[in-house]
Amino acid sequence: MSARSARARALLVVGLGVGLLVLSVAALLPPATSTPATVAGGSTSTLDRRISAAQARLARQEQDPRTWAELGAAYVEKARITANPAYYPKAEGALRKSLAQQPDGNGPALTGMGALANARHDFAAARSFGEQAREVLPDTAEVYGVLTDAYTQLGDTEAATAALQRMLELKPGVSSFTRAAYEFELHGNVDDARHALDRALADAIDPADIAFCRYRLGELAFDNGDIDAAGRHYEAGLLVVPEDPPLLQGRAKVAAARGHTEEALAGYRDLVSRLPNTQYPQEYALLLTFAGEPENAERQYALIEQQEQLQAASGATDDLAASLVAADRGDAGQALERAQAEWSRRQPVFVADALAWALHLSGRDVEALTYADHAAGTGWRNATFFYHRGMILAGLGRDAEAVTALTEALRINPHFSPVEARTARATLANLRGAG
Amino acid sequence: MLSRRRAAVALVAVGSTVLATALVGLSSGSAVASSHREAPLISSDPPVDNTDVYAFVSPDRPDTVTLIANWFPFEEPNGGPTFYPWATDAHYDINIDNDGDAKADLTYRWDFRTDDRRGNATFLYNDGQVTSLDDPNLLFRQFYTLSLLNRDSGSTATLVSNGKVVPSRVGNGSMPDYWQLRDQSITAVPGGGQTFAGQSEDPFFLDLRVFDLLYGGNLSEVGQDTVAGYNVNTVALQVPKSALTLNGNATRNPVVGVWSDTERFSLTVRSPGSQQSSGAKVQVSRLGNPLVNEVVVPAGLKDRFNSMLPEQDGTVPALVNRVTNPELPVLIQRIYGIPAPPTPRNDLVEIFLTGITTKSGPAISLDLNSQLNNADVDPARFVPSEQLRLNTSIPPTANPNRLGVLGGDLQGFPNGRRLADDALDISLQAVEGAAVSGIVAPLAAGDQVDRNNVPFGSVFPYITLPNNTAVNRTLFDGDTVAPFGWPNFPTMPTLTGLLAVALIGSGVVLFRRQSRGIAWQTA
Repeated sequence: MSARSARARALLVVGLGVGLLVLSVAALLPPATSTPATVAGGSTSTLDRRISAAQARLARQEQDPRTWAELGAAYVEKARITANPAYYPKAEGALRKSLAQQPDGNGPALTGMGALANARHDFAAARSFGEQAREVLPDTAEVYGVLTDAYTQLGDTEAATAALQRMLELKPGVSSFTRAAYEFELHGNVDDARHALDRALADAIDPADIAFCRYRLGELAFDNGDIDAAGRHYEAGLLVVPEDPPLLQGRAKVAAARGHTEEALAGYRDLVSRLPNTQYPQEYALLLTFAGEPENAERQYALIEQQEQLQAASGATDDLAASLVAADRGDAGQALERAQAEWSRRQPVFVADALAWALHLSGRDVEALTYADHAAGTGWRNATFFYHRGMILAGLGRDAEAVTALTEALRINPHFSPVEARTARATLANLRGAG
Repeated sequence: MLSRRRAAVALVAVGSTVLATALVGLSSGSAVASSHREAPLISSDPPVDNTDVYAFVSPDRPDTVTLIANWFPFEEPNGGPTFYPWATDAHYDINIDNDGDAKADLTYRWDFRTDDRRGNATFLYNDGQVTSLDDPNLLFRQFYTLSLLNRDSGSTATLVSNGKVVPSRVGNGSMPDYWQLRDQSITAVPGGGQTFAGQSEDPFFLDLRVFDLLYGGNLSEVGQDTVAGYNVNTVALQVPKSALTLNGNATRNPVVGVWSDTERFSLTVRSPGSQQSSGAKVQVSRLGNPLVNEVVVPAGLKDRFNSMLPEQDGTVPALVNRVTNPELPVLIQRIYGIPAPPTPRNDLVEIFLTGITTKSGPAISLDLNSQLNNADVDPARFVPSEQLRLNTSIPPTANPNRLGVLGGDLQGFPNGRRLADDALDISLQAVEGAAVSGIVAPLAAGDQVDRNNVPFGSVFPYITLPNNTAVNRTLFDGDTVAPFGWPNFPTMPTLTGLLAVALIGSGVVLFRRQSRGIAWQTA
């Protein structure tokens, strides 16, 4: 390197540093809007390096469709880990650039577009991108990951299983094992699901992956009534990623299940200030309702409505989540409308369950039962599903079956919901008293 | 292996600047926030990712051969909390084909297990100073079984049980005498050999940007060792030549083919049930010749290549075509006007697929390292395949040439591969036809990274101790345990601020060094 270019580079480095310092200071200033900070999970080193490496390559050579595709896919992953949807437009920009530079046979960009569509809950588009990617890259595990997710969410169980098996044969590891765990769980194979997650955890290297595996292991334990095991997983994950929102949510849930309501409320209060997505305010609101604070619950529902309006303005819809919230609030009409809208697009068991419940709340238990039957189709040991089924059967006067279903719900997980578990017990007592 | 090019961590300073700017520029959200069901998709799997294979006649024990295989690219020193464990649900293999049928005759297999004594109270690797491999302060320990699979007889022999892995280097505070730990980990192998498993400095040296720039049309930025400062996980094995060679006869059959692979047990979701969810073994990574992903394997085939057995190589036309009609010389001709050698490139077929021999054709007039030159090989059973081939009869030279065979030193790559062989420059010259027509002068400077940034050892396992200083000092200073996700992890703006200060600082240092006339290699 010549003396001149070395000197120029030194100056450039200083210049970059000064520029960055200005930006950093600017970023530390309070934001102009009142949007709460949404970036979470500070330790994503491998992914950040992947992103910075791609950016550096593109800085040297802008015409590089493969690297644009890799950058786009990395942004989708970043959005997932940080729960920050602001990365989606960046992902789309990079992926579209890749496709513009190489319109034909661009498997990596098609895979990235599929992953992005899944993340935005546009599962039909994800399936389409995934199938196009499969044409180009029939031996690439990530393609089958996109297809597994899309088919699972669309309710095409057979296609999902086939795609997942192919993924497992191509690349056993965290990505395929965690998907296998979901598949097992959906089919009621809790032990296999736990085994798959144990394998995933053993293979996880990135802190974000470790946190994810711990969270899923905690959820599996919680959903099957083992609160202590759930607590251990959440706490072990928090040792690695101390402020991971899902793990903090797990900790709060465990506190609620143990009857430590104040601690649980504090946990959720902290969570919704970090990450005002739909899930946390919804659970917080339920807990507030349970604790006898309906006004505070209403404030959370108002927050959810704001989020929904933001989403709708950007063209995204999540009718499933909206239906569940409406059901929690006792708005049967809205719950049914949104569940039907979701069902018109996709027919997985969890949408069938939401629709069944909305029909029940609307007093249409005969129809509700057909959807509850559909929800039971894969054999998922889901306490909420059994609770819904039991309440529908009770509404139909089929008391013995209702008792069986409600007993099963509480047997699977006596803490499945603070409010509904209470209702389940009360209903059981009534039914047994009547019988 | 992951493509070296793709896995490259670019100039940390510049990269982080761009990243930081991108983060700062984020606007408020849109669209659906992700649900926590979403599983990782592109989660990386470095513990099972092969990076390099070396095979050479041991310079200090010329009756033996040393085989070295590396995994886990770009290990940043001080990478807590779990550092860089070997996967425990995988086989780590070095394969030997000594009769040329593209199938492993011998497989040396390292299987690892973990003894994790950390409990739920801490995630720290050690709790106090570690002065021996048995030190109670060492809380995370790994052990291995080394087996020898004889594929012809179908027998498996256990060579080492409970071999001790030297732990990841945590830092001088925790491990004041790392040399001693490594010495303790070297284990005897029956029949006069020895083995090692653990962390080491990445012995590869190259400027990976060469490939970006070649494919992008600009060779002006070279001279930076992209992997300097990083560590890898290494297994090394030294055994008598007779243990590897056909019929145990290194005189009649001196040539062996070598490649590493990793297999991991999968799961099956097709027939669920607790007893059946364990699936088949899957080969997830494979490596023989260096830079094979950059030079030989087409982009769309990289995942498939990792899963392929060498015996399948010849059945994939896209792979063979890329050897006979490589892309790189055409690019170089377009950019630099250096004429591409005529195709089909039978010289490259010899270098990558058959070994250099006159028995497969006249492309290179040398009998060097094809199994076809073994006296007891049946030529009718020979199958071309991508392997690193070593003629064990060539004695170590006192004056190795970094360009190996192309530099007139027949002991070096592509005859096997020594640690100090300049794989990138040799590969670049080879695809330009140097094995036929001699060194291509206009490209003789290559990537201008001619040697490793630290010297190699003179005795087994030859590789250098792991680096102990963070590559990116601006984020993690000091050599104590610096776990990911430590409490009070700086917020992103604070981090970028720190980075900014560091950048300014390094720019000033750069300026000063420049002024004093000191070459600064890692800019």
